[in-house]
This record gives sequence, structure tokens and C-alpha cells, in this order.
Amino acid sequence: MSEPLQFMMGKYAAEVPADLYYSRNHFWCRVVAGKNRFGFSSYAIKLMQDVYFLDWQVNAGDKVALLEQIGHIETSKAVSDLFAPLEGTLLCFNPEVLADPSAINVNGYDKGWLFEMDGTIDSLMDANAYHAFLEENWEKAQRMLKGKINAGDD
Amino acid sequence: MSQKKLNVVLSQAQGKDPNRRAIEEEIAAALLMEPGIDLGIVPALYDLHEGHTGRLYLEGVQGDMVVISWLYPRAAYWLLDRDGIQGKLGETNIKPADNNDDEDEEGEEASKPKGIGSVKVQDRFIFCLDLRDAKDHRTYVEEVRRILTECKQRWADAIPESKPAMVQLGMNISALASNGTAASNGTALLNGNDTNGASFLKDEMLKIPGRRWYPVIDYSRCTNCMECLDFCLFGVYGVDSLERIYVDNQDSCKKGCPACSRVCPEQAIMFPDYKSPAIAGAPVGAISGLKIDLTKLFGGGDALVIAAKERDKELLRDGRDAVGLSVGIPKRQPDKKDSPKDDLDNLMDSLDSLEI
Repeated sequence: MSEPLQFMMGKYAAEVPADLYYSRNHFWCRVVAGKNRFGFSSYAIKLMQDVYFLDWQVNAGDKVALLEQIGHIETSKAVSDLFAPLEGTLLCFNPEVLADPSAINVNGYDKGWLFEMDGTIDSLMDANAYHAFLEENWEKAQRMLKGKINAGDD
Repeated sequence: MSQKKLNVVLSQAQGKDPNRRAIEEEIAAALLMEPGIDLGIVPALYDLHEGHTGRLYLEGVQGDMVVISWLYPRAAYWLLDRDGIQGKLGETNIKPADNNDDEDEEGEEASKPKGIGSVKVQDRFIFCLDLRDAKDHRTYVEEVRRILTECKQRWADAIPESKPAMVQLGMNISALASNGTAASNGTALLNGNDTNGASFLKDEMLKIPGRRWYPVIDYSRCTNCMECLDFCLFGVYGVDSLERIYVDNQDSCKKGCPACSRVCPEQAIMFPDYKSPAIAGAPVGAISGLKIDLTKLFGGGDALVIAAKERDKELLRDGRDAVGLSVGIPKRQPDKKDSPKDDLDNLMDSLDSLEI
């Protein structure tokens, strides 16, 4: 397996494993037994920090549209609604992280997976493209974090 | 007449969750034995419609009151306020369990909210306890005791005669729709009658009302900007005789839709049953002051876009046309100078010094 890429967030290096796919809203995707398994990229986790509370607002078996709201997360530093990375059917949620979300922080690229979906993953980026995407948007992300969060247009 | 007993109203959970029922029953059992307490039990506060016996009971309660419910205190307090059950918000000692760690510095809100406040507030205190804050019923019983002690002190010092501002009794009881749900038996731990003279039948009081859905305005934050009035296309909001925004037609609201809450620039609009704490009425300092909303980063667009989408969904469901962002969307200054949100800077700084 090739070396993971690293994206520097300030001094912190967020790992971007080379063998995964990524969505623009910072989920990784791995195909496991024919299903698309998703979790948070370490970039996302680093911004959120410790996950306290995870809530899904759709059920296994539901069809969801791209970027349809599927849940909500609260962490030590942040809150966010969560949105579908693909159009397709939600197949299942990881019961372990629902019971104890700390696996997301401990092992976000494996045990900390979140849910599985079917649907085509053509729209996702490979590791190189995601890295470039992070690079390209880092300035903007920092600006947004620093003050434009609720201001709508920028 | 000066108050002799402390009124405690226990508002049951919606649904039949046995764990919730259990703690309600433990609290009720303990408080029934407690001297100096007048206990009443009503179904879920949020669902009590006009004319429900439980609501009439609440309206009839005079003097200081403790309301124990499954709602955030802020939501419970302002929901009662909207229904004319008013008083000053009493300070309680029960705090959310997970809020104790790193927020000790009372960093809360740097700027005090500049809300327009309530009107016609009765000269009494309403203490709101959230049943999700502690697992042990004794926590609540002890807090009620503490409040009783505090109130007794005040009653002793008080100049007698506090006139209730307005008690809206005499609603149309016959209009009480039977919702087909049997009054919950098995929880009939209630001596629930004769508070302050009026008498209420236990079964009537505990009759489970149908679920409701409507916004609750926190007037300690509301600035009367009317953005919700412009945004909502379902006629929920209105303006009262004092030209203040209020939730006029509660039941015109669209079940599950929290869009106006997202539009409110002051986070003054709550939907007590909504899933995310910020909208359900969690303390504003804890949620928005200290925590960053990363929704945009996760593909959510901004709050206004989400709100417009939610509204469109309801419009279409009503057979009307979607309006997107073309109606009632406030113009916010896009180049508003960064407000001094230190927590954000802190987060960014912490990115540089992360362990691992």
C-alpha cells in the first residue's frame, strides 16, 4: 500500500490515506464487500476534535439525495449538521460509534466508520485530488472558521 | 394572601419511554411526601393546547412555581410565557451533566443579549428543571427543597399581596378534543386537585394531548426585527397590540420544520422538540458561543439556504410554489467586520499546537 499523503493544517499533519476515496464534504470512502463505507477524514476530525454526540436523522434503507441532511454531530469544539456524500440508499450505520463515538477520534479511518451506502462513487475524489482540494480551500476554510461562519455569503 | 406552599408541576415525557416514566414516578412519589409542596402532574408541556385541563391547571397556579419537564429550561420558561403563564425566571442549581468540564471560566456570552423582554410579568418566580440533566431523582427532590427554602425566605420578607397580572381562565373546556388516547394509567401518582381553590380531575389533567409543533420565542433575545414574520409563509407569526412579534397561529406551523429558527439572527426562536440542541433551546452560551458551527464545511451551505430549502419542502407539500431565496430572506451585511469571537481564534491557534 502506498504511503498516505499528508495535509498540513498549521503544524498538524492530517493523513490522507492513498487507497481511499473522498467527498467534498470530508468523508472518506472505502468499498467494503461491495458497499461504500464512509467515515470522517482526519481533516474533519481535527477541526471537530472529540466527538460527544452523534445523531442520525434518516434510517437504514432510506434513499437520500446528494447533500441531503442525514444527521447531526456535536463535538468538544463544534456542532454541525451532516449531509449525504452521495445520492443513494443508506444501508446501515456503525452501531459501535453510535454507542460510543470515541472510536471516531481513536481510529477514524477504520473502526470509526460511520455508515454504508450504495450508489455510484464516480463523483468522489481520489487521495491526490482530495489533497489538492484541501490545499486549494485551506485559506477559505481558515477564513470561514475565523469569523464568517454565520454570515452567509462570502 | 402570602404563599404557604411551593407549587411543583411535573410535566411528563411525550411517548411511553419506561425509563422516563420511572424517574417521573420516583420524583412524584418523593414530592408527594414532602411538606410544603403542592404537586401537580400534567402531560408534556409543549403539547398542552388551549383548554386542556392540564393547561388550565397551570394557568391557575399562583405564586412561585417549579416546572420539571423534559425540555430545556429556556424552552419551558418561554413556552409558558407565550401561554400567559408568566413570572421571573428562577435561578436553579441543576446544570447539564456534560457541561461541567472545561467551561468553568463562565466565558458564556461576552455581550448581553439585547432582547425586548417579556411584558406583564407576574411578580413571582418560575423555576424550570430539565429532567435530562440528572439521572437520579434525588437530585430533583433536593433542588426542589432548596428552592422551597429560598422561596420561604422571600415569602417571609415579602410585602403581602402580589396581584397576578392576568390569569386566563375560562377557556372553552367543552372544546377539549378527545384524542383517542387513553389517559395514562399506572402513573396516577397524583393528588392533583385543589391548587388554589380550583379543582381538577386527575384523568382530565393527565389526558394525553395530540402532538404539537410550533416555535417558541425567547424574548430575552428577540429584538423584534421581524425577520421571522417576513420569512414564514404559513402565517405562524403575528404582531400584537404592542407591535411585538409573537407566535400567533401556533398550529399553522409545519411539523418538523425549524426553518425560521435558522433565519433568526439572535437565536431567539426555539423548537423544543427539534433534535439539535441549538434549536431545541439549549443554553445559547454553551452551544453557539463556545462551539463552532461547521455545517458549511460539511456541505450544508449556510443556515439561510437550509432554511429556504426546508420552507420550500413545506410549500410544495401544501401544493404551493417553492420560492427559494426570493422571499423574506434578510440581507445581512456580507462584509460585517469579524466579531471578536475568541473561541474561533482559539480553535485555530490550537490547530498549531495539537498533540498527537
